[in-house]
Amino acid sequence: MKRVALYLALLAGAVVSVAPYLMTLNSAFKEPAQVLTTPAWEPAFPLTFDNFAQVWSEYDMAGFLLHSLVYAGAVTAGQVVFSTMAAYAFGRMSFPGRDALFWGYLATMMVPQIVTLVPLFLIMREFGLIDTYLGLILPTAFGTPYGIFLVRQYFRTIPRDLESAARIDGAGTLTVLVRVLLPLSRPILATLATITFITTWNTLLWPLIVTNGDATRVVTLGISALKGQYSSQYHLILAAAALALLPLIVIFLLFQRHIVRSIALTGLK
Amino acid sequence: MIDNIPYDRPVPGHRRAERRLAARVRTVAEAYALLAPSLAGFLLFLVAPIFGVAALSLFDWNLMGAPSFVGLDNYRELAADPEVWRAVLNTIYYVVLNIPAQTVLALLLALALNRRMRGGKALRVVFVLPWMAMPVALGIIWSWVFDPRYGVVNQVLGMVGIDGPNWLTDPAWAMPVIASVNVWQYTGYTMLILLAGLQAIPHTLYEAAAIDGTTPVQRFFTITLPLLRPSLFFVLVTNTIGSFQIFDTVFVMTQGGPGGATDVLNFHIYQQGFQLFRSGYASALAMVLFALILLVTAAQFLYFRKRTVYDFS
Repeated sequence: MKRVALYLALLAGAVVSVAPYLMTLNSAFKEPAQVLTTPAWEPAFPLTFDNFAQVWSEYDMAGFLLHSLVYAGAVTAGQVVFSTMAAYAFGRMSFPGRDALFWGYLATMMVPQIVTLVPLFLIMREFGLIDTYLGLILPTAFGTPYGIFLVRQYFRTIPRDLESAARIDGAGTLTVLVRVLLPLSRPILATLATITFITTWNTLLWPLIVTNGDATRVVTLGISALKGQYSSQYHLILAAAALALLPLIVIFLLFQRHIVRSIALTGLK
Repeated sequence: MIDNIPYDRPVPGHRRAERRLAARVRTVAEAYALLAPSLAGFLLFLVAPIFGVAALSLFDWNLMGAPSFVGLDNYRELAADPEVWRAVLNTIYYVVLNIPAQTVLALLLALALNRRMRGGKALRVVFVLPWMAMPVALGIIWSWVFDPRYGVVNQVLGMVGIDGPNWLTDPAWAMPVIASVNVWQYTGYTMLILLAGLQAIPHTLYEAAAIDGTTPVQRFFTITLPLLRPSLFFVLVTNTIGSFQIFDTVFVMTQGGPGGATDVLNFHIYQQGFQLFRSGYASALAMVLFALILLVTAAQFLYFRKRTVYDFS
């Protein structure tokens, strides 16, 4: 009896977790009138692709998605490479100022993002990078304290013997990093890449500030503008929201094992 | 790691010292070379802006012409501005709606999942699904779900004969609705971290306590809760820092309305800084948010340190 109650409670939680996704997807396939007249849980029938076609043709949905892909892709590539390099220095090498610097990195995790935005905007304006991909990408492309911390912790779990063996064979620092540590670190690098991509894909505030033209408009800006314009044309804005969420769902399902494990690990030091 | 000197032949003492020094210098140079890109980004895009914003908060500047130094005028102005106080209270209200609900729900889910069961792994994945969603898209979806006429919530309430409110245009309900997005999004994430903490508690403790004739409730308060403290501390601190920075859902769902009921600090700063171009004033407001977060984080540190964790290892 107690067990049944437990399962029911967990099941209810699971339904609540997926319901908004399912209802959105379901309604995006309904005809405009049906979105308003039928309950959200009633299956779409007949199925129509018109809403997707309409947001695709009347708005630059393809452009929004492409710009987000460039933005998130570039930031992810930068973060994985530069965080790994820094994590190796912090986790495996000794040099003067290491601990002070590492604590400095960690301390900035408490700084709210908005604090840096006015000066960042001024820096980008100074370099003529407003409304450019570089302006979007630069602030987060060199690695974040969080990413460096994540990879450093992982590097520290790899036995040093492996490294010493390679060193005795005459391998330099870069060789050790690329040939010995990286092949062993695939899970954490996949995790960092996934989390960075998702976070960047979802970012609204920085693109809102540093871009204003069509050429670099990312999907968060695109769909929030759509919502402002067509607040109650739910068939359109739900289709747009579904398109914005779709890449995330694909990535999540591909990497869910890594994500679940890494979230669980962040709490255990 | 420092000793990457060939061992093949013996070298005289002073030569060996020289080589050691050369190797050491090389290691340090290599370390800084590896660190260089991230350090450059860190200094230019994080540290410099932090000092920059502190300096800017002492100026009056509309981003054109020359900034003029005004001392603490921006701080005087914001202290006297009822809209700022409202934004501070709104932000705190949001955090208070958010954090306890999310943490308690997550703890209950974690306790329920902390046993061998069929489908436990799959359930974990399902509970984390909301975590990755784009807040902007969620804002759109929630606006629809809470639409007074066409939304699911009022339709369901209507079935049981309740006439639901106008949620997002009702000053009393707008903030709770916005907070519910965040609770939905982060409960599963918080649950996973707490679950990992629960799983790190040794079983033998529970067995010993059970032999001593304790009730499950006693065991929860004497074993589970004290040993879960580090994980709880972690989720409370990080989730609170995140919650203070609520922006996206407010931007999409209410733009601070109705009548300023959801005008939170981050949104207020954005409006002052990037819509009204009062960058000095916005910088001063950003400093206030920063101070608020530091204060709350420090309080959490003190509270959790006072109640020290008993070390079983």
